[in-house]
Amino acid sequence: MITAHDLWFSYDGGEPYVLRGVELHIPRGEYVSVVGDNGSGKSTLMRLALGLLKPARGTIECAADVTGYVPQRRAEQNAAFPLTVAEMLRSYARLRHIDKSRRSADTEASRVLELVGLSDKRGALVGELSGGQSQKMLIARALIGSPELLVFDEPSTGIDRASAEEIYALMRRLNRDDGVTIVSVEHNLAAAMANSTHIYHLSGGHGHICTPEQYAREFLGDSDVTA
Amino acid sequence: MLQPDFMRQAFAVSFFIAVLCPCVGIFLVLRRYSMIGDTLSHASLAGVSVALTLGGVPIIGAFTVTAGCGALIEFMRERIKNAELVLTVVLALSVGVAVTLMSRGTMTRSAESFLFGSVLTITRADMFMTLGLCAAAILSLILFYDRLVFISYDEEAARIAGVRVRAYNYLFMILVAAAVSVSIRVVGVLVLSSMIALPVAAALQLGRGFRTTLLASVAFSLFDILGGLTASYYLDVAPGGFTAIVSVAVLFAVIAVKAVMKHARTRKISSVH
Repeated sequence: MITAHDLWFSYDGGEPYVLRGVELHIPRGEYVSVVGDNGSGKSTLMRLALGLLKPARGTIECAADVTGYVPQRRAEQNAAFPLTVAEMLRSYARLRHIDKSRRSADTEASRVLELVGLSDKRGALVGELSGGQSQKMLIARALIGSPELLVFDEPSTGIDRASAEEIYALMRRLNRDDGVTIVSVEHNLAAAMANSTHIYHLSGGHGHICTPEQYAREFLGDSDVTA
Repeated sequence: MLQPDFMRQAFAVSFFIAVLCPCVGIFLVLRRYSMIGDTLSHASLAGVSVALTLGGVPIIGAFTVTAGCGALIEFMRERIKNAELVLTVVLALSVGVAVTLMSRGTMTRSAESFLFGSVLTITRADMFMTLGLCAAAILSLILFYDRLVFISYDEEAARIAGVRVRAYNYLFMILVAAAVSVSIRVVGVLVLSSMIALPVAAALQLGRGFRTTLLASVAFSLFDILGGLTASYYLDVAPGGFTAIVSVAVLFAVIAVKAVMKHARTRKISSVH
């Protein structure tokens, strides 16, 4: 689903490079958590996969026809924007040309809201939602057009534990029941270990993919990981 | 009041700009670009000065130079990540050009009416040109509504949905240029930015969705501009200045009503408990 070959990236066009010859292959249907220290290039790698950034060298390709992206939620972002949840989703559905596939924007908005359990908030302003609801709204937006690939950037940042649990349950359901490939940049190692089929560890500009069990042995000394 | 020809034309032009200004203003305010209105209104003065020096049509000169400066702002904004600094550079360039041309004394007529706004100088040709530019701008806003909303709300998400964000940012600057260049005739360069931002600021107090906020902005704008024009006729003052005063008064009135309603609601809730 995502393939990178000898991928180099730098924000200034030269040294220091954030990514140094990254090799990556994420097959269809997997749930991969991307982990690593702050500044290791996890979000950068995802932004490259989504086409939001251009590589300095090498290639990165995404085979999905429709990709959904759930960005890192920032509490202050657009809090005062006068947009209701339904307006936002309808607008985004129209941008993704949902009408062309004979599914009206309004029907699509209702469908994705029901999927994330946020139907009762369709009339609320986006700035009035709690952290967990706001994250669910971003997931609903990413689900518009039934994507084959969903990319998350730190899905549990800034939200309470119960909401985070609901969100991870939703991610697992989408992966296991609907076959959606999930790639999630994670700072929550416990969630990464519990939910993923594979872990992609980024460090020093290089990446390494393994199963959660291998990761536990190699990087955690097989110790228990708790949230 | 509507007997003289110039007043009928002034009302017609005012009606169009009262609809157009908040339509572009809402995106400027939400992107925290309110000061672009101020910078581009000064750019339009430079355009008027160029047109009057070369013997051209002021509105066309204003639109051309303002659109050019809008594109320059967008171009520089992509390279210099300090939006405030970019506006300062374009403002300095615009004022520099305008003042230099005005001080040479070679303009075919004075540009003062564009500084303060004047209904006396509006011609039938101005009215049709304003109507044309407004119609084109409003049609573009309707056609690209979703793209402009989403670029303002979340530029990255718009890009992922396949929107050519850069192209639409340039198009938006041209829409702002159109709004500015048709408005300076009535409200004047000095208070134009308030016409773009204040009706939107008042509508935002209502705390409603985008469509309702946009419609409320247009309603406030119509009240501000047509009310300001009517009052300025009877008071014999420049319409631009008085319209700005009306806009600020309306904004304060909306804030006050909102505060009173909130207070009443709080009291009702505490009395129930």
